[in-house]
Amino acid sequence: MPNIKIFSGSSHQDLSQKIADRLGLELGKVVTKKFSNQETCVEIGESVRGEDVYIVQSGCGEINDNLMELLIMINACKIASATRVTAVIPCFPYARQDKKDKSRAPISAKLVANMLSVSGADHIITMDLHASQIQGFFDIPVDNLYAEPAVLKWIKENIPEWKNCTIVSPDAGGAKRVTSIADRLNVDFALIHKERKKANEVDRMVLVGDVKDRVAILVDDMADTCGTVCHAADKLISAGATKVYAILTHGIFSGPAISRINNACFEAVVVTNTIPQEEKMKHCPKIQVIDISMILAEAIRRTHNGESVSYLFSHVPL
Amino acid sequence: MSAPKGGLVIFTANSNPSSRELARRIAERLGVELGKVQVYQEANRETRVQIEESVRGKDVFIIQTVSKDVNTTIMELLIMVYACRTSCARNIIGVIPYFPYSKQCKMRKRGSIVSKLLASMMCKAGLTHLITMDLHQKEIQGFFNIPVDNLRASPFLLQYIQEEIPDYRNAVIVAKSPASAKRAQSFAERLRLGIAVIHGEAQDAESDLVDGRHSPPTVKNIGAIHPSLEIPLLIPKEKPPITVVGDVGGRIAIIVDDIIDDVDSFLAAAETLKERGAYKIFVMATHGILSSDAPRLIEESAIDEVVVTNTIPHEIQKLQCPKIKTVDISMILSEAIRRIHNGESMSYLFRNIGMDD
Repeated sequence: MPNIKIFSGSSHQDLSQKIADRLGLELGKVVTKKFSNQETCVEIGESVRGEDVYIVQSGCGEINDNLMELLIMINACKIASATRVTAVIPCFPYARQDKKDKSRAPISAKLVANMLSVSGADHIITMDLHASQIQGFFDIPVDNLYAEPAVLKWIKENIPEWKNCTIVSPDAGGAKRVTSIADRLNVDFALIHKERKKANEVDRMVLVGDVKDRVAILVDDMADTCGTVCHAADKLISAGATKVYAILTHGIFSGPAISRINNACFEAVVVTNTIPQEEKMKHCPKIQVIDISMILAEAIRRTHNGESVSYLFSHVPL
Repeated sequence: MSAPKGGLVIFTANSNPSSRELARRIAERLGVELGKVQVYQEANRETRVQIEESVRGKDVFIIQTVSKDVNTTIMELLIMVYACRTSCARNIIGVIPYFPYSKQCKMRKRGSIVSKLLASMMCKAGLTHLITMDLHQKEIQGFFNIPVDNLRASPFLLQYIQEEIPDYRNAVIVAKSPASAKRAQSFAERLRLGIAVIHGEAQDAESDLVDGRHSPPTVKNIGAIHPSLEIPLLIPKEKPPITVVGDVGGRIAIIVDDIIDDVDSFLAAAETLKERGAYKIFVMATHGILSSDAPRLIEESAIDEVVVTNTIPHEIQKLQCPKIKTVDISMILSEAIRRIHNGESMSYLFRNIGMDD
């Protein structure tokens, strides 16, 4: 592919390499380092003049450092006369801060969108935004890819009893996502909602729907400390589910997440590799990974060639 | 040195007289007169605005309720905002109880995010602050580069349930589609009731089927290095059989949503709930657009009562259908205006609001 360069930030070099390999390209030369005062320094090691540049950087780990690194890389490419700079952000940082949920709360996802635009990004490719309205925070095109086709493929290939399963949302907010998957698998869905019986009583989780003698598959867009999803798993087992799986696009797994998963009754906790999982998998054998590099690679290829990206919303490249 | 605080002026930008009722109520509660302004259509259908009193250095609040002619309503507002801006108003606050085009708030295929476009137009025209109510998606606040106060009608609707439905403790809160489940949970939590979710049959207007997910494969570029093989996945069922997740038998069903416009999906939900044993059906929504044939269809349906607020005028619809009841929310809008004008905190108005509301 002529006139295309792919660079990797330091957040997820393994994913960047997989994307480059699938496209038959070498990763562009870039040096990212920190000065003694902890400022980020980026040096692009090859010409990008007139090139279609893609920078892969996920919102994970040292999130602010990675965000600044991405902004500096975008700006470096832009002022080095790149024709177009596309930020490939598999897991969008600050995506949960997408609305004023209480007084004086900042809409940080909008701030990040402004920062990306100001730094010189011409296009964003991301995956399973926490709320797809985040696309509207930008004045540039945003392709919000879906992990759903890859998730469906994984379910059919790895859960023998998938025809006798119920897709479950761990909270009411995820009901729409869950019904989409349930419809495509032609199975039932259920959801768990928090119920407060008395003003000073702790939330009680109530299962709405039937999972008795079925495999329960919890589906959500992300798992952070895993409190909700682990409580949900306990609830499903006590409601008669034979097995419980959790499938999550973005496995953040911060704080007590790993120990919670190890102590919970999951058959498997399945995440995509929008965030690196190698270290976590060493400490938690229940974590399994769906590779989505081919979806991102195909989105890059189609964008570069001026083809439609929408086909990827319902199909998964081999 | 900060400039001395100017006065407060309340205008309504509606040329349609029936749309001015809410503005009149708000002004009355604040003990002020509505500002003198003429808004009208010229012979060529262009909107003309003439502000007939000084707004220099003042806090101008423009109350705009959305009429049937939504695009004219938008132009009236934008022209008035711009007129105030060029007349040296200190602050221009839009009070738009129902934010138009709010359902078009995400990318669908190759469409436009119209609510983002509208937000940009309002900011460009000169709006410095927006007061609205129950945005279809709270993320719309992020489309603006100005402060947005998204007030909630739920306390008023909850109060209605508790005061006007005697046996409400035997009720279940129903989401007519999975997209409304979060709102249903918010109501259920505060009333300490159970929830149910309806899914299937009637395709939701919010469905992602209109997204690009079902585009045909494009012709591959010859120049591609690794043309990927594609495997089609299971396409969703044409019409999944209608299911109710949760028990409604022998209960009052209270369907909650933010907007009631075309009532087909509500009627289908009501029928399903009746079949499942619900003995009374209420519909609670903030914004009663009730377009086209909605009043007649509600009157002939299994729905016992439709409760909406007066964010949108619907007096004509009420005459056609006595089942439609109105909850007045002018009180919270007038209090928001008073607090903003006096530089007071708004958080008091959100004190009983849950995260999911």
